[in-house]
Amino acid sequence: MTDKSAMNPIIDSGITIPAGEKASPILDVSGVTIQYKTTSFIVTATYRIDFQVYTADRFVILGPSGCGKSTLLKAVGGYVRPTEGELRLKGRAIDRPGPDRMMVFQEFDQLLPWKTVKQNVMFPLTSSGKLLGKAAEEQAMHYIDKVNLSQFADSYPHTLSGGMKQRVAIARGMAMEPDILLMDEPFASLDALTRQKMQEELLRLWDETHFTVLFVTHSIPEAVRIGSRILLLSPHPGQVKAELNSDGTDWAIREARMLSERIHDILFTDVVEESDHD
Amino acid sequence: MTNINATAPQRPEFVRQIITKTLGVVEKPLSLWEKLYNIGAIRKVVLLIILASVWEIYARSLDDPLLFPTFSATIEAFLSDIGTGVLLHRVWLSIQILTQGYAAGLVLAALFTGLASMTRIGTDLLETLTSMFNPLPSIALLPLALIWFGLGNGSLVFVLIHSVLWAVALNTHTGFQSVSPTLRMVGSNYGLSGLTYIAKILIPAAFPNILTGMKIGWAFAWRTLIAAELVFGASSGSGGLGWYIYENKNDLEIPNVFAGLFTVIIIGLAVEHLIFQNLTKYTIQRWGMQS
Repeated sequence: MTDKSAMNPIIDSGITIPAGEKASPILDVSGVTIQYKTTSFIVTATYRIDFQVYTADRFVILGPSGCGKSTLLKAVGGYVRPTEGELRLKGRAIDRPGPDRMMVFQEFDQLLPWKTVKQNVMFPLTSSGKLLGKAAEEQAMHYIDKVNLSQFADSYPHTLSGGMKQRVAIARGMAMEPDILLMDEPFASLDALTRQKMQEELLRLWDETHFTVLFVTHSIPEAVRIGSRILLLSPHPGQVKAELNSDGTDWAIREARMLSERIHDILFTDVVEESDHD
Repeated sequence: MTNINATAPQRPEFVRQIITKTLGVVEKPLSLWEKLYNIGAIRKVVLLIILASVWEIYARSLDDPLLFPTFSATIEAFLSDIGTGVLLHRVWLSIQILTQGYAAGLVLAALFTGLASMTRIGTDLLETLTSMFNPLPSIALLPLALIWFGLGNGSLVFVLIHSVLWAVALNTHTGFQSVSPTLRMVGSNYGLSGLTYIAKILIPAAFPNILTGMKIGWAFAWRTLIAAELVFGASSGSGGLGWYIYENKNDLEIPNVFAGLFTVIIIGLAVEHLIFQNLTKYTIQRWGMQS
């Protein structure tokens, strides 16, 4: 049970990467096993996970519940220490939370209720010393404007809807211009219509600034729509099952079937039918 | 009732233009009575007037000014002692001691809970101390305090600190513990730690509990002070409100005793409505932590 390749037969997706694009990854996760203790068990959440995120990636971690994807993201965030393996951001090992990895959470209570929208977006800028005073305010307003919330800049979070709160959280993350933006199922608590709108908005924001984002979700359609690269994890414990490319359209180019169907097959059938034919 | 043969009728589809301009909001002003009833202060004043009238009517029917003077007699004694300045002087003495003890209690509570939120042994210490001392009435410590600090304000401040400290520390600690994990992660995501983390995340997030603790602490401090002055009031040379009540009881000036109690109530109401309610309004209500 120690040889990773024996457990995870790599299935060739058939897409060839052009040679010569050997940029160094911004985030390098290698052999990460995460375990946590309950009162009577040691539970392995993820087992020997490897993946690399490159600049301007929209990297999605997708898997059913119990695959340890949120735990993995928390490890990248610096909240959880891996029992084995290493996480490196720009070559530096991650050992604690920090504003170079801004996190957008699923919960609506992630905004500080005692600060207005503008103050919320400004707060990490000023408290980390990245920008101060007028400059911080301008930066905050720039990103609040990007998520179309300028007219609510002086409102307190409790007066906003769930979707608006998540947009503020995204603006707060982006305003810091972090090395990587971590998003932990940020749209999972939203209603279907708002979720779709938010996905479109996130893609529009990405088109404007090409930030690097690591996005965790359990929804296949969301992964296909948001991601440029999708990491599939198996449950109990989470292991890498596949890494796929997506252009966001869900139309199969070579396989005559939808990407989402392919993901579904990989995740939910243990025996994956070979799809090597071109 | 279902009918297997039933079919819903075919209906034409339609798409409407939504009117956006001419649709005015129909407004109807509230009546004067409703407007007045919506003001909390007016509702409370009305309640106070009713309570005062009940007092007046009962005292008149009892007709025993030594046992239970009327509301009007109490007000009369109250105003005359305000006029002579005696009452105001006593109030001033009490308030001075009270604020000293209260402020010192708050500072110590902040130290204890700050320590408790940073280290586990600090948490254990605070939890042990609060469970030991919170149930202990401050007044029970007064004889000891008199031995330690002598007959003076020192003893009073000591028992006041004891009455404020544990109530505030316990509430603040509970508040810190119930700060949501998401907010904690947000705080550490920003790179905050130690004192800045406490000041910028924990204290505002736990403010509803802290405010409750401050209110309880304030009430405890008042009770303790009045009780201490009633028993040992003369000790500090010139007594405060409690001593005023005690003195007048000895002289059988019962309306003045009532006036003293009345003053305690008035100060309590004033602090609650002028200070704590405004603090609530401009903090936790504005932040949506309390409706």
